[in-house]
Amino acid sequence: MSQDNQEQSVSSKESTSKSKTVFTMPGNRPGIQAVHVNAAREMVRLHTQGRRPPSSTTASTAVKGPVPPLPSTASSFPGASPHPHVSIPEGCKNPQCTHCGKVIIPAPQSSYPIQDTPAIAVKNWKIYTIKKPILNSTELEDLEARFHFPLPEMIFGNSRVKIVNEVSGESIEFNALDALDSLDSESHLKVSYHKEWLDSRRSEREKKEKEERGEVESRDLREFTDKLDTIEPYDWTYSPNYKGTTNIKFSESSQEIPIHRLTQPDPILFFDEAVLFEDELADNGISILNYKIRVMPTCLLLLCRFYLRIDNVIFRIRDTRVFVDFDQDLVIRDYRQQEYEYSELLKSVQRKSIGNDPKKLFRDHDWVSKNIPTINKVVESNQ
Amino acid sequence: MELDTDVPMEDVEDLKQVSTSATSSSTSGKQPTGITSIGGDASVSDAAAAAKKADLNVSSVNQLDQWIDKLSQCEPLAEADVKKLCDMAIEVLQFEENVQPVQVPVTICGDVHGQFHDLMELFKIGGPCPDTNYLFMGDYVDRGYYSVETVSYLVCMKVRYPNRITILRGNHESRQITQVYGFYDECLRKYGSANVWKLFTDLFDYFPITALVDNKVFCLHGGLSPMIETIDQVRELNRIQEVPHEGPMCDLLWSDPDDRGGWGISPRGAGFTFGQDISEQFNHTNDLSLIARAHQLVMEGFSWSHQESVVTIFSAPNYCYRCGNQAAIMEVDEQHNRQFLQYDPSQRPGEPTVTRKTPDYFL
Repeated sequence: MSQDNQEQSVSSKESTSKSKTVFTMPGNRPGIQAVHVNAAREMVRLHTQGRRPPSSTTASTAVKGPVPPLPSTASSFPGASPHPHVSIPEGCKNPQCTHCGKVIIPAPQSSYPIQDTPAIAVKNWKIYTIKKPILNSTELEDLEARFHFPLPEMIFGNSRVKIVNEVSGESIEFNALDALDSLDSESHLKVSYHKEWLDSRRSEREKKEKEERGEVESRDLREFTDKLDTIEPYDWTYSPNYKGTTNIKFSESSQEIPIHRLTQPDPILFFDEAVLFEDELADNGISILNYKIRVMPTCLLLLCRFYLRIDNVIFRIRDTRVFVDFDQDLVIRDYRQQEYEYSELLKSVQRKSIGNDPKKLFRDHDWVSKNIPTINKVVESNQ
Repeated sequence: MELDTDVPMEDVEDLKQVSTSATSSSTSGKQPTGITSIGGDASVSDAAAAAKKADLNVSSVNQLDQWIDKLSQCEPLAEADVKKLCDMAIEVLQFEENVQPVQVPVTICGDVHGQFHDLMELFKIGGPCPDTNYLFMGDYVDRGYYSVETVSYLVCMKVRYPNRITILRGNHESRQITQVYGFYDECLRKYGSANVWKLFTDLFDYFPITALVDNKVFCLHGGLSPMIETIDQVRELNRIQEVPHEGPMCDLLWSDPDDRGGWGISPRGAGFTFGQDISEQFNHTNDLSLIARAHQLVMEGFSWSHQESVVTIFSAPNYCYRCGNQAAIMEVDEQHNRQFLQYDPSQRPGEPTVTRKTPDYFL
């Protein structure tokens, strides 16, 4: 049992607040079985060990003997740790791995409400992300003046990823609200069963009008009819025309993002991903804007992706990739749009007979991205 | 607590056993006036039959208790047991009304979406189930990791305590939606075939679509329909079918309140929104004090609209394990006082609130 206590104490910070109530079941049912508790503790151990790489404190308190060293991730990168040009800016509470210099996300002190502000600085560049919960009702009310259409159901409006050159002042960031500012005023797309839905409404109404000749009834119905034809349009697919919020003077460039530098196994010092907004289109598919960023010792890659799937209608992807070379202070931005009919992709999946559940593949954004054509591409750089 | 009013549920179980008496029992079962009146159900059967039932009761009650114990530990039932459970549940649910009457006090809950541990947290916050009456407004499955356990648990509780818990249908209790949003995949993963998915989605057809709390609070998953002006019109619908893409039943499970007045249609080409004038008219026509509905994520777990004629309740905290929202349930007491209880996700050892990201060499 002493070992268990030891394991538990590691996670005490996170669990003390609620530990008394955890696992109480309704009624007087027996509690969770010991085997589950042990399995859970083992998971905690793995998590916390991952977060807290071997150091003098953990080693000295370890009962089970020395913690096995983490496998080295710095294999291809020559240099001592921590890396000379890499530092952790103020405000970032996330610890840095003493072994490889990686910023550890989430911070062990991650607590509810979820808020995480990891950051890293490499040479002239500072990179940080802010992750907070979806907007609350007060914040949404405050946005009513800015947005005159129903907003996506999940808006992480206080979350962002930002890259700043501390010397030149150049910066680029991605956030949900600026993306939503860039929507078209309407969308020509409709859900797949739109016609049958509308037709059923119209015939129902006519039937009803014939049945009920009361004057009050017909006035109500006429009002309803008017509403049918005066829908306030907006882009309900939430497809942004957004390449980031930036002060960088980009110009079209023939210099592509150097893929070879991104495929070599340099250590990843900082990695983060988050959703900026998401809407399930009333269960007709998904509309989601998210970002991923990885920072290596000499460069970084940021991908901000908009992914739209309207079931039985269309796929749409709008990717903005930002590559920064820390040595040359070079920024390359690659923006591309992809679009494909749903039925076409379904056909090609069936032709290749990949799996028996194509819809599963359709939820894999990377797979879809690799299997649909690009309709537009722009590459720009700051040099 | 007084007498357990749930004993009569075995009447329904009995239908299966004594097929000859099924017609007479079912017709009497179709006139549930005061649903929790103890006398009403007892009068259905004569004393001799009641004695015979007592035996069946004990065995099925024991069985249900076993299943509930197992599910409480987040362990799914065996496929054969799911089959038995769904058969038992159909016997109970088919006699419920489209507008299921519910007594006060009751605790009204919104979407759960397969977040099993948060459902346990809900029962902790609101009080254990047979002691507290519950009304769930649909969306038990999809998106969360434990849709199977969540829906199995709630259906078990429903069969075990049919007068203590009411489970309405949400738009996710449908064959089509569950194939896209996770429940189908989860069944395949946990059972190796789609049989359990089939059993549950067939069962969903029997779920009542609305409930009426003490004739004053109208509860449903989505919202109002332009085809429905009175609650009696809901009673006329044939609900035992897959959720249709159109018509009043579809609206009741899908529509949303909106700041704009009147009826609106989403530019996506399907789906209604209803304004404050519509809600107020509906409440006035039907002598209601409130429309309680779920269906929409709200950061605080509940949200008033239309000057308190409509309330949205959402009971999946940290929805999809990443929204950081609170969840809420609404208690309505004998005097119709309402109280909202908000809660955070249940934190369990081994599962940090934020999933640890594995760095990947994305391009």
